[in-house]
Amino acid sequence: MRERLQEIPTSSLNTSGNNFYSGAGEPLSALPGSELEHPLQHQNSAFVNGFHAANDNRLSEVWDGIQNPQIPQFHPGHPQLQPELNGPPQRVLSSFLHAFVNSSHGGVPFGPTQLPVLGLSEGDKRCIRDRSSIMARHIFADKNEDFINGQVNALLSSLEIDNQALANRPYIPGRNPELEQYWNESQVMAPGPRGPDNWADEFAQNRGPQNDPNAWALSFERQHGTGGWASEFEHEQAQMTSVDRMAGANIPSLAAMEQTRMLAHTLSQNSNPKFQNSKFLQFVSKMSRGELTIEDNQVKPGNGDWANEYQQQYNAGPSSWADQYAHEQVSRGPENWASEFANERVHHGPVDEQWVDEFSKLQVNDWADEFGRQVGEGILGDDSADNWASAYDEYLNEQAVLKQKADSSRGVYEFSDLNPYVGHPDPMREGQELFRKGLLSEAVLALEAEVLKNPDNAEGWRLLGVAHAENDDDQQAIASMMRAQEADPTNLEVLLALGVSHTNELEQQAALKYLYSWLRHHPVYGKIAPPELSDSLYYADVARTFNEAAVMSPEDADVHIVLGVLYNLSREYDRAIEAFQTALKLKPRDYSLWNKLGATQANSVQSADAISAYQQALDLKPNYVRAWANMGISYANQGMYEDSIRYYVRALAMNPKADNAWQYLRISLSCASRNDMMEACDSRNLDVLQKEFPL
Amino acid sequence: MSMASSDLKSAALMDQMKTHFSTDAGKALIEKIGLVYQINIAPKKMGFNEEIFVVDLKKGEVSKGKYEGGKPDATFSFTDEDFFKIATGKMNPQIAFMRGKMKVKGSLSAAQKFTPDIFPKPSKM
Repeated sequence: MRERLQEIPTSSLNTSGNNFYSGAGEPLSALPGSELEHPLQHQNSAFVNGFHAANDNRLSEVWDGIQNPQIPQFHPGHPQLQPELNGPPQRVLSSFLHAFVNSSHGGVPFGPTQLPVLGLSEGDKRCIRDRSSIMARHIFADKNEDFINGQVNALLSSLEIDNQALANRPYIPGRNPELEQYWNESQVMAPGPRGPDNWADEFAQNRGPQNDPNAWALSFERQHGTGGWASEFEHEQAQMTSVDRMAGANIPSLAAMEQTRMLAHTLSQNSNPKFQNSKFLQFVSKMSRGELTIEDNQVKPGNGDWANEYQQQYNAGPSSWADQYAHEQVSRGPENWASEFANERVHHGPVDEQWVDEFSKLQVNDWADEFGRQVGEGILGDDSADNWASAYDEYLNEQAVLKQKADSSRGVYEFSDLNPYVGHPDPMREGQELFRKGLLSEAVLALEAEVLKNPDNAEGWRLLGVAHAENDDDQQAIASMMRAQEADPTNLEVLLALGVSHTNELEQQAALKYLYSWLRHHPVYGKIAPPELSDSLYYADVARTFNEAAVMSPEDADVHIVLGVLYNLSREYDRAIEAFQTALKLKPRDYSLWNKLGATQANSVQSADAISAYQQALDLKPNYVRAWANMGISYANQGMYEDSIRYYVRALAMNPKADNAWQYLRISLSCASRNDMMEACDSRNLDVLQKEFPL
Repeated sequence: MSMASSDLKSAALMDQMKTHFSTDAGKALIEKIGLVYQINIAPKKMGFNEEIFVVDLKKGEVSKGKYEGGKPDATFSFTDEDFFKIATGKMNPQIAFMRGKMKVKGSLSAAQKFTPDIFPKPSKM
């Protein structure tokens, strides 16, 4: 057995099947970019704990607050309610509009004001009218319709804009030629004569003027493209950062903002001083005002960034805004709302209904309504504030820990900072040595030194990928294997490793592609794999071809291994288990094959069998981190959380960088009611954990 | 039994959940929760081309399509990727909710009892 441990995954093609795959790694990506969030409240089995509101006598107060919100207390006061009325027209207008916007913060009704002559064009007026109606419904969202109308009328009459007269006139095209063009094109597809200029009116007819809470948002979408004057609203624009910046993704963001806004308001009714001062409440209220947005993994400041960016654009001249917009449309590709919108139009017919459907699907209000109702019924507990607050604190902590990870995107290999093997005369040989000894993390360093030295060394990258996969570090394993494939596109072990990792990831199409490539490039089976199949892979075709290969060479363990992976993909676990067992008869000492068998059995809920297969793998390769982690998963899935913890800790002791195992450890700790160890887990204190959970 | 016709990652997790109900740990969930959840999974964009699954924690069943036994106790909506992240502990449901990446309809007290991480964890080959 000792000398078996010395085996190193071969890179030579060996059709006899002897030791062919022993080291084919199986990276599994940890979905990079998602690691910021960990489950935070498992101990309560209640992720909606945070929805709780005060459950004491203030309930009716909270309920009233939701129904007829007053000024939220957490709005910082913006004292500048008096517009500046001297100076050039632009400045007066700007100041005036700012005052309008700021009136939302003080809750003071915005009164009509005598203004100097501003010389607004009809188009400007129309823009302001449309825009302010929309904006008002956002910034005064906690007010009733009469109040909002009053505010808007005060604004418009001060500017000598006739609300009604303008409303019936055709819309004057804005200054964004790209959008106009797009719009015109999109109208060509519309059933019926629908001009570019009056879609909003049509929409209003369909929906009733401003009665629908979504209407303002919808109009806002439309308005966004139309022009420069809106710069005057930059402050408020910044609050809507997510809408502006996220283009295609803006709708969920808008919904999220709506949700957080309502959440913030309700939470603000909680008079617990600890909570009132909590970072979490500040966070939610900032989110609700758009000062923070969450994009991808990071909370981003909305205000500063956007405003600066906007200011630069604005200073650069009126056309640059449009340019920028056009540029973003191009660079965002399928993300951008316009093309997405166009696509959906093509597929779904009339535009108005489509928009309406889309918005109604958001159910922005469902949650708040439901929340309000249930709070009113008093069915929720009282510990909400703490839960949300602690969730947020943990979120911040995790964010700090994982910041560097968030910056890396999937598929990009990240080298260690301090690598003692850099400068080593033969890091490749050293890496192979270390790998043979089972010192995976050391082997990783040596192999990193090798590929730094020889970036085209496919074998260096491949073995690095294998080491990472065995170390249960999926992100790095995939990144390495992709580099290996770049350097050597037809390497069978690399193709299989990529097929396995995408299968682990549940990414069926990608996995199928790599597994079929394996067949195509195989010197023996390549001839039965028609190249034209690669263009549109169907699982059934691929499986049939592999079965033919297995018939051709029943003694080739490799083809059974690939078949086993393929059946995992289709979740035909019994067949997969059979294929791996056939392969194991041919290669009984292949530890990664034992692990594949175990993982398959585990996924088909045969946990006892899985554990004995993992044990076989570990007997052959004691430092096989992935098998230790899989052991933990099997115990956890059986509800044996204490046992699972011991295996996760064991895996992590060997490789503290195995993020997945940390996430699972956290879940098991809370399921086992070991919250006392949560801090050790979050701070990744292995000394404490190992002492507490020896194996 | 397989939902393999679906390309969704969530479908794989649902399949695993289905078999999970045959185990003691799965049956314990029925005891503990005893409610019916409908989960709408969108391949890419929330609300579009959703595939609908029902996780019936009264009967210990997972099925495809809308719930036909009345009204589910709670309905969740996710994108495929987000559901996968939440079910595997990579994303915190509360954060997902705040980001608008998880929507909840129905009784929140029922929703409270359900954490997506009750799904069994996939093992790795």
